[in-house]
Amino acid sequence: MANPQTAEIATELSKGSENVKKSSPITEFWKKFKKQRLAMVSGIFVLLLVIITIFGPAIAPYSAEEPDYVNVLQGSSWDHLAGTDAFGRDIFSRIIIGTRISLFVGTISVLLGAVVGTILGLVSAFYGKWVDSFIMRICDVLFAFPGILLAIGIIAILGPGLGNVIIAISIFNIPNFARIVRGSALSVKATVYVEATKSIGAKNRRLIWKHIFPGTASSIIVNFTMRIGTAILTAASLSFLGLGAQPPTPEWGAMLSNGRDYLSTSPHVTFYPGLAIFLTVLAFNLLGDGLRDTLDPKIKD
Amino acid sequence: MKKSQLVPLFIILIVVLIGCSSTTDTESKSDEDTKQEVVKKEGKDITIAVADNFISMDPHDTNDTLSYSAQKTMMQGLVGFDKDMNVVPVLAKEYSANEDATEFTFKLQEGVTFHDGTPFNAEAVKANLDRLTDPDSTLIRASLFEVIEETVVVDEYTVKVILSEPFGAMINTFAHPAGMMISPKALEEYGDEVSQHPVGTGPYVFKDWKPGDHLTVTKNEDYWNATGNEVDSMTFKPTPENGTRIAMLQTGEADFIYPVPTEQAESVNGKDGIMVENAPSIIVRYLAMNNMKEPFNDVRVRKAINYAINKEAFIGVVMKGYATPMDSIIAPNTQFYSKQEQYKYNIEKAKELLTEAGFEDGFKTTIWGSNNSSTLKGMEFIQQQLAQINVEAEVVPMESGTLSDSIWSVQNPEDAEIEMYYGGWSPSTGDADWGIRPLVGGKDAFPPSSYNTAYYNNEEVNSLIADGLATADLEARKQAYAEAQKIIWEETPWAFLSVDDTIFGKKNYLEGIYLLPDGSLSAENIEIVQ
Repeated sequence: MANPQTAEIATELSKGSENVKKSSPITEFWKKFKKQRLAMVSGIFVLLLVIITIFGPAIAPYSAEEPDYVNVLQGSSWDHLAGTDAFGRDIFSRIIIGTRISLFVGTISVLLGAVVGTILGLVSAFYGKWVDSFIMRICDVLFAFPGILLAIGIIAILGPGLGNVIIAISIFNIPNFARIVRGSALSVKATVYVEATKSIGAKNRRLIWKHIFPGTASSIIVNFTMRIGTAILTAASLSFLGLGAQPPTPEWGAMLSNGRDYLSTSPHVTFYPGLAIFLTVLAFNLLGDGLRDTLDPKIKD
Repeated sequence: MKKSQLVPLFIILIVVLIGCSSTTDTESKSDEDTKQEVVKKEGKDITIAVADNFISMDPHDTNDTLSYSAQKTMMQGLVGFDKDMNVVPVLAKEYSANEDATEFTFKLQEGVTFHDGTPFNAEAVKANLDRLTDPDSTLIRASLFEVIEETVVVDEYTVKVILSEPFGAMINTFAHPAGMMISPKALEEYGDEVSQHPVGTGPYVFKDWKPGDHLTVTKNEDYWNATGNEVDSMTFKPTPENGTRIAMLQTGEADFIYPVPTEQAESVNGKDGIMVENAPSIIVRYLAMNNMKEPFNDVRVRKAINYAINKEAFIGVVMKGYATPMDSIIAPNTQFYSKQEQYKYNIEKAKELLTEAGFEDGFKTTIWGSNNSSTLKGMEFIQQQLAQINVEAEVVPMESGTLSDSIWSVQNPEDAEIEMYYGGWSPSTGDADWGIRPLVGGKDAFPPSSYNTAYYNNEEVNSLIADGLATADLEARKQAYAEAQKIIWEETPWAFLSVDDTIFGKKNYLEGIYLLPDGSLSAENIEIVQ
């Protein structure tokens, strides 16, 4: 298990920075991360989800959309591990195939938010003055809305659908990243090596991307992992409200919503998709916690 | 690593374990107690939980069946409907019509008084009908009575209604709850405020109404047609949440609830003295196809859609068995219904028809409908069925405001974006006319003026509908509507799905309370049998 794990983190890190590719910080990171047992378990679970995402349709025992009107609302059995829904579709298969959607929506929307937010945060920290105030005040305005409310507002304008859910979630992720990146960029900007680079006449672009940005990478990674959980939850909530995935897409939130008429008679229809959402969000949050403890320079053991 | 981090891990484990164990015990049915004891009822005060809020207590200005349900305990019309929606005399002893259906004469019951002591007579009838036919009237139901030209008082207990044109469905219109009589004194005293102060001739007298909370009526001690079995009071409680309504019946907080959510009907029936009863209604559930738009302008495509939908499975999966397949555009309990031969589920035939029409690879379309969970389920079912003949239907659930905007804000029929629409219809007059004309009655019924969401326009059908209205001769009307139904069935402007059941739950000591086939509640004859 250890090897793919290392590889996984290495690729994660290389996304953020070229410099960290050298083996020493990685080994050090791994040494620390190994001690976070809960984060390790979560990491393995996330890895498992990634595998399911890739091979989902091949592993699933049944089709996600093919109805079977003879076997509707069956409880768990060896034929249908998680039972069947109101149309006789196998819930276990739908959850497996739905993993792809939830993970995709979660990752892409946070990634979009992270890219835009990071750029805004860096610009804000580097140039300061009115640029800084301008960007940060806009972020404050966005922060004033509760995330889900903002997302519903955006969907109301754009119309329902998974694509628009991604846009909505990435928009409310922007201020989050902008603020965090700005914070750490400000402290990196004040360091001696940045001063030194500046004094030998490096251009602004080089300063920002080669010298300040790598210093913020760890906080971006931590925040990225933590936000994925929230993003998956928000996407599921929007689908539950009928604003996200449209039938017959096996989206977890939509499946939860389909089962609400049967809560008292066939609870399994809501239970298993709920469990899937719960475990996934928990795993991402714990993984984020572990990464933070490992990467945060302030926490020394 | 902190110790506290172990706690969430533990929770995961527990949840997974619970998940594994809560599996097989869901279906353990026991049918042993279908013959249960009649449970005891303290007092004679009844509580009825309903799904929506009451809107108005003025029958002339009401368009929801639920408000009518409460009004009918207090007010009565000249004629009314019995349990099967046949027209029966109520405040009129007898009635007759001339041959062209332009003059209707009513002989009234004698010795009837309104709750405020005003005598019920021909003058009272005239006051009510004049209110409805007043050209300046803004009453919602004025349109039902717009054909009335004049109401003539012949003597104290005889009234003659003269129409401006022949209208064969007039007696049914009088039986519609919109034709209920309000005390002329109350009309004068309260004006349009009468919607808060209903005064009628019925077995129950209005007590109080807190919108959103409850509406209470009490026994009318001087009721003209008293049986002695009336209850002391009835309280209607609007309870939109399905689960709460069921719980109220289980705990005895309510004695009667409707509707019962079909998903839970079976699980509560026969327990705690609860009886769930269902009966065929006149509510039809259909999938309208835009007959003016490609590819639905080809009758072969429309037929293919009809053949591709498994009606039995639809009833089993979506309606949970509480429905019957449609076999005409109107339901069997509607007047002048004529049975047609069903389009039996046949994928091969559907594919053949599609190929003939040039759509062997299928096509893409959209299904519109409201966003409540049962409609969603229906639309999703249709989507699955159509996938079998390569028709890729996108389900578009809409919030009711958006939906009516999308359908009824269309000014030019050619611009209508609607392709398929999943809907239901309940013709409250119980007559074929109101089940056919608003829905497929040609250009006059196109949105926004009426409900022809299929944009179906067939001259032959239009003239048959007109023929049916032009006479009061039952045989002639029957023939016209039979012919119209045959053509419509052959041309399939809709995919014909099912006729809903009405479904209610009651404690087994209640008698005489039931739902009419149009889905409205009839509580005026309620009694407690111990």
